[in-house]
Amino acid sequence: MDEKKLQQWQMIALVGLRVIIGWHFLYEGAAKLLLGNWSAAGFLLQSKWIFAPIFKWMANNSAVLDAVNQLNMWGLTAIGLGLILGCFTRLAALAGIAIIMLYYVCNPPFVGLFYSIPMEGHYMIVNKNLVEVAGLVVIMLFPTGRFAGLDRILHKLSGKK
Amino acid sequence: MSENEKKGGDASAGKPGRALDRRDFLQGLATVPVLGLFGASLLQKIGYDKKRKASKAAPAAAPGPDLNVALLGAGAQGEVLLNAMLKIPGLRFRAVCDIWTEYNLKKTVNLLRKYKFDVNAYEDYRDMLDGEKDLDAVVIATPDFWHARHTIDCLKAGLNVYCEKEMSNSLEDARRMVITARETGKLLQIGHQRRSNPRYLHCYEKIIKEAGMIGRIVTINGQWNRSAQPDLGWPQRYAIPDAQLKKYGYPSMNQFRNWRWFKGLGGGPIVDLGSHQIDIFSWFLDARPVAVTASGGTDYYDPATHEWYDTVMAIYEYQTSQGRVRAYYQTQTTNSSQGYFENFMGDQGTLVISESGSRGSVYREVSAPQWDEWVRRGFVQAPKLVEQKSEEEKAAVLDVRETLSPDEHKLPVEFNDPYHKPHLENFFNAVRGREKLNCPAEVGYETAVCVLKVNEAIEAGRRLEFNPAEFAV
Repeated sequence: MDEKKLQQWQMIALVGLRVIIGWHFLYEGAAKLLLGNWSAAGFLLQSKWIFAPIFKWMANNSAVLDAVNQLNMWGLTAIGLGLILGCFTRLAALAGIAIIMLYYVCNPPFVGLFYSIPMEGHYMIVNKNLVEVAGLVVIMLFPTGRFAGLDRILHKLSGKK
Repeated sequence: MSENEKKGGDASAGKPGRALDRRDFLQGLATVPVLGLFGASLLQKIGYDKKRKASKAAPAAAPGPDLNVALLGAGAQGEVLLNAMLKIPGLRFRAVCDIWTEYNLKKTVNLLRKYKFDVNAYEDYRDMLDGEKDLDAVVIATPDFWHARHTIDCLKAGLNVYCEKEMSNSLEDARRMVITARETGKLLQIGHQRRSNPRYLHCYEKIIKEAGMIGRIVTINGQWNRSAQPDLGWPQRYAIPDAQLKKYGYPSMNQFRNWRWFKGLGGGPIVDLGSHQIDIFSWFLDARPVAVTASGGTDYYDPATHEWYDTVMAIYEYQTSQGRVRAYYQTQTTNSSQGYFENFMGDQGTLVISESGSRGSVYREVSAPQWDEWVRRGFVQAPKLVEQKSEEEKAAVLDVRETLSPDEHKLPVEFNDPYHKPHLENFFNAVRGREKLNCPAEVGYETAVCVLKVNEAIEAGRRLEFNPAEFAV
């Protein structure tokens, strides 16, 4: 395979990674929206580690909790759309990293911390959240939106460097 | 990699300012079809969830003619009932009455107007009875000491009545309620809502009556344990003026808010909580108690603001056609250990049931005949597999006198509606002439006799016997 061809396949693979992570975000957002009464309270309340007081404060303050719920549902949905469509890809990836890191530090799988909501696998420091963050870091650093995504059109239309 | 290739992965992508070409469009929109796939999957998922939900829900009968309904008492319990009623088709809310006009009344009227009901608001129930001439039914959720006057006046005004339990804090008043219902020929349902709960109905009709699965019931225990709670407060700006409170029989705003704790207004936790479950003891046993022994007191809260007992333990004795039954009940309001449930223990099995869906199982005694037939007929689920014992447990020496732990069979009936909905539906369907009341006044009266006797026994400090004539009206 010549170098150009290889680069193209590498780019397609990265677009695949972006779309798959986007799908996950979009459905996480859509499912919560469809539930109608979804709340982050349970997740926040079982927070462990040094940031636990902040997360518990969020859960116990109804105005804040409401904002957190809305931001989660619509944020996940918007990030998902951005990643799938390759629209404002870097911003979407950065927002995705931020939101998942919040989940991670809320309930980190550190040795010695136990959670009442059982996890579906076995994790020590690294869990699927962290893997997804790593994926998003890669997506943020490669311009996949300008290869296959609305960013390509936007970029052209904007006429900016 | 060239500058352009770094940006776009192919030579044509990264040149800004150049006109969009076909390739830009195709690649720019390359991932849009993924959204189509996502949308199709999402629709499939929504359809699947809807179908599953529909298959779980009972087949909905046509609601029948619309009924004009009023709510009398729009406090916490009134709100619970209203939320359940809003899920029942065929009801037209016409009026709400509550003496806390600035808070309960406004809140409830606003809620109903949001649901597009044209409701009138009343402070005094007599004005409501004068003003509303086309009501079919009224749902009463006022404090216990008001039940008799509200119910009797509504019945006399020609309304069918759903009245919250406890029927009354005085047996004399409760008796007058039964008599007025008889005289007026109107329906009076008392709010012991477990009597219409499909899980409880299944236990009574199938497990106890038809199959006799748990054998001869010899002992029962039940409880409702609740965490310590501060008294209910109120926003100062919404305080009811003293004159108005006195007009309706409340010495103070605190007593208005916390009436359940005060003698003359409510009956304390044994009445508020115990009444529901002691009602089930008698229902499942098809019997009335012959005696009760009880101990209780205000052990934790300030007796000045908690006249009724915060802790009560009572033992009922029943005489059934099969023999003697002793039934223990406790309610405490300082610790929530094990929550609330009723536990029927027979010589062939145990039935543990709670209004909370988390508890509902039948356990077969190891000495009892197999339950394969009942599993096959869907009375109970197949037993849960006995879990592998841990090494430590295996190492523990089994005492020869110990019996093996019985198999657990879960109840097959799921119930995910508001707890009060089936009981209210039963009432409204009875008003339409389609069903019989599950808890008519006579039944509510018998339960009031059973429950109020506990407070009497505590005061007397001895075992009190029931005279069979006490249950008759």
